[in-house]
Amino acid sequence: MILTEDRLQGLLDASLAELPPLAADFAVVLEGSIAEGFGNPSSDIDFLLIGRGDEDLPTMPSLLFVDGRRVEIRTRSVRQLTDQFRTLEKQAKRPGTLCEDLLNRCQRLLHSHPLRGHDLVDEVKELMPRERLSRIAGDWWAHRARQSLRHAVALLRLGRTDEAVDWNRAALVQTVKAWAADRGETYLEPKWLSLQLDRAGRPDVRDRYGELHSTTPAPGDPDAARAHLLACLAFAAGLGLTGVAADPERLTVERAAGVTTWQTGERVHVIRRRREVFALGDRAGAVWRGLVPGRSLPRALAAAERTGGTAPGPLLAAFWRYGLIRLAWKGGGTVTASLPLAAPPGPVTPPPSTAQPPLSVAGAAVSGPDAVDLVPLPADRFAAATMALVWSNVVVENALEDLTGALERGQWPVAELTARRAVHAALRGLFSSYGVNPLPADCDLVHRMDLLPPATEPIRTRAGHLLRRTIDSPGRGEAALADLHAFVTLVRDTAGADAFPSCFDSADAWRATLELGHDWLRIGAYLDAELPIEEARDLLAGHGTRPHRSGRHPAPGRNGRWPTR
Amino acid sequence: MADTMTVLVTGAAGLVGAEVTARLTAAGHTVLALLHSRTRLVRNNGRGLTPGPGTLVPVTGDITRPGLGLTDDDRRLARTADRIVHCAAVTDFGLPEERYDSVNVSGTRHVLDLALAGPTPLVHVSTAYVCGERDGTAYEDELDVGQRPGNGYERSKLTAETLVREAAAKGLPVTVVRPSIVTGAARTGRVRDFRTIYPVLKVFTRGLVRSAPGHHDAVLDLVPVDHVADLVAGAALRFADAEGRTLHAVGHELTLRDFSDVLAEYPSFQVPRFVPPSAFSASALPGRERPYHDRVIALYGTYFRRRVHFDDTQATAFGGRRAPTRGRTYLRRLLDHCLRVGYLGTPPPEEPAARRTHGSAQ
Repeated sequence: MILTEDRLQGLLDASLAELPPLAADFAVVLEGSIAEGFGNPSSDIDFLLIGRGDEDLPTMPSLLFVDGRRVEIRTRSVRQLTDQFRTLEKQAKRPGTLCEDLLNRCQRLLHSHPLRGHDLVDEVKELMPRERLSRIAGDWWAHRARQSLRHAVALLRLGRTDEAVDWNRAALVQTVKAWAADRGETYLEPKWLSLQLDRAGRPDVRDRYGELHSTTPAPGDPDAARAHLLACLAFAAGLGLTGVAADPERLTVERAAGVTTWQTGERVHVIRRRREVFALGDRAGAVWRGLVPGRSLPRALAAAERTGGTAPGPLLAAFWRYGLIRLAWKGGGTVTASLPLAAPPGPVTPPPSTAQPPLSVAGAAVSGPDAVDLVPLPADRFAAATMALVWSNVVVENALEDLTGALERGQWPVAELTARRAVHAALRGLFSSYGVNPLPADCDLVHRMDLLPPATEPIRTRAGHLLRRTIDSPGRGEAALADLHAFVTLVRDTAGADAFPSCFDSADAWRATLELGHDWLRIGAYLDAELPIEEARDLLAGHGTRPHRSGRHPAPGRNGRWPTR
Repeated sequence: MADTMTVLVTGAAGLVGAEVTARLTAAGHTVLALLHSRTRLVRNNGRGLTPGPGTLVPVTGDITRPGLGLTDDDRRLARTADRIVHCAAVTDFGLPEERYDSVNVSGTRHVLDLALAGPTPLVHVSTAYVCGERDGTAYEDELDVGQRPGNGYERSKLTAETLVREAAAKGLPVTVVRPSIVTGAARTGRVRDFRTIYPVLKVFTRGLVRSAPGHHDAVLDLVPVDHVADLVAGAALRFADAEGRTLHAVGHELTLRDFSDVLAEYPSFQVPRFVPPSAFSASALPGRERPYHDRVIALYGTYFRRRVHFDDTQATAFGGRRAPTRGRTYLRRLLDHCLRVGYLGTPPPEEPAARRTHGSAQ
């Protein structure tokens, strides 16, 4: 140990003097790197105070600075320690779910150095033999090493060569930690691995580990990465690691829980855990649609290559990274690689897409054919906004029809109101395309355009003019209609709604409109989103008929006519 | 009940019949397995039935013929039966009415003739969908309540069950078991025959039909084949407890919304749009979809409209508990099995599906 007994006792006295007087006698141990025989002048001093009772002592440690050293003091009662070891034994049956912090706490205590109350310290150390802890820690590390190597095998097959090499290295550390743990070197922190290997008395293992760890395969070279992987696997097998091979056929592509696919028109949307929406570009969508759960990774890649073109590996890697699919090892469950004492494993969430506007009636905007873009809206608002966008477009069409009819009959006040309705509907569509939801009230729409990007300023100006427009003669009516058409075109061009079928033009276009409406309704239902329910109901009760030209409506309301506000 | 019995099982080579036969022979009883065209009994797991410790006696016959088309010797043998379990039926949809009448109605009449001659206690396998096209709760003690059958199959099963009730009124000891839509095994999802709802799943998930008439809250009840077989075999073995009862062998209620949401969990599956029947027009479907609609989906259309719940109080009291698994979990099991064996998830064929379809309930 780098500190003498006297020095440690001195540090303990000085530390305890800074704390409120203890109510009872405590045993005290030094744990951590110094107790393990490692450490350096800047290492922390970690004291654990052990109370004989069964009280719940606080988990939060006291932090002190004594003689230039950072001192951490924790407290645990015998009852708490007993529970801790019991839980460890229970969790040890499944190393994949064994809590890292729990293992760390138990390990540190069993390998601690007693400073006071030696009898009590001996008593708690008898809660678990050190050999048992060695086995548990060894299994725990072996599980991680196996996962990292499987992860590397997958990455290599997916064409993520350099990432695969980094996971090879992570697996190397974990493999050697597992091997060392079986020999009693259980301290979890990988920082002291070189000293642990020195103590293990197997210079051949230490040297081979060092050699492989420092090998740097040529970046982007799959053959070099594979050679490195094979060397790491051989080394791991030599140290007794089982359950892994450089055979990607052992990997299968599986569904991830809570991930669903929804297509609107040609756009494929993938919704993760009902919260996030990923919009896939055309190629990404084709690859995604070719994924059949249960197929081996090589077979999935071959199928993806047929549907999405060459080199689909990075796309599958992105799906995997974002938790949209799982990879499983045949007979070994889900591949879940993680670095101990680091961030917990789990799907990565990319930054939200910056494509503007984010939504169109055909679906979320994407940045390119290979895009796996995170829509910058929560899923339920995404569904509600797109639904509102669809309805707005339909209402615009409807209002323009009505305006034409009113002008034909010289119904000027009716025409004036209808023109405003068309303007408001177009603005609602514009707001929706930018993801604004719920929408402002109609009379606030023009005022709330400050929510939208400056590029929409011309729309605001023209909307203001149109809303103040008076229609009291055929000439003014025709001019208003022409301006309204131009305005709607401007809005649609800005909102990207030009792809929307002009639903009144033909039976085919109307059917396409209905289908799109049903597509969005389906997503909205899945997300329990706030939908324009009345409109949806009208759509559903529409009997598949087209809205009629003005004057030929069978009846207002639910008989084939889109609702208008 | 005698220590060991002899049970005549009609339709013993069918999906339910083979499983019932396996259970009866496993319980040590002798099964006279009435076979029509097939000669080998295959269990739901795809393996040949190995009887035992009871005995399996194959008997060739044809229920559409009087006396079940048995030879004199076989007729004498059949009369030794302590029970009759009548599983034989045509369950495919879209067949000519005469076919349903011949097998399901006349066939039942011929089985009843044999049973009444004994009299031999009868377990009659009907269908929960004798309830016809209606919403709400269908009870086990209801039969003809003026309902409109959804198709020729349901009509024939309603008529057949009515005949069974009439025979019961004449003193024949009878139990009726009514399965809903028979699908894969509860635990594995495995199924021997991809009939009933399976062709519908294939057509939908491949996107061969993208829009179909149906209500999102319409309910389809899928029952695992092992649950049905347990209940039918149980009724035969514990006839004293089952006599006079009608037992709903029902399983998992799944709405079209459930189907939609679960299918969406599979990246390669297309999810159909369910359009309210009043808003749906088959003639508006793209030409490519039309044959699949007419040959598969249209036959199942009646089940996409009903919001029916099957009360199974009597079945539960008899011991036929529904599986504890949630409906969506069970549906995933069925789909996963279909993917495992390649029934689903393979590329769509160039040509429309074969003419013969099997969209039926039990």
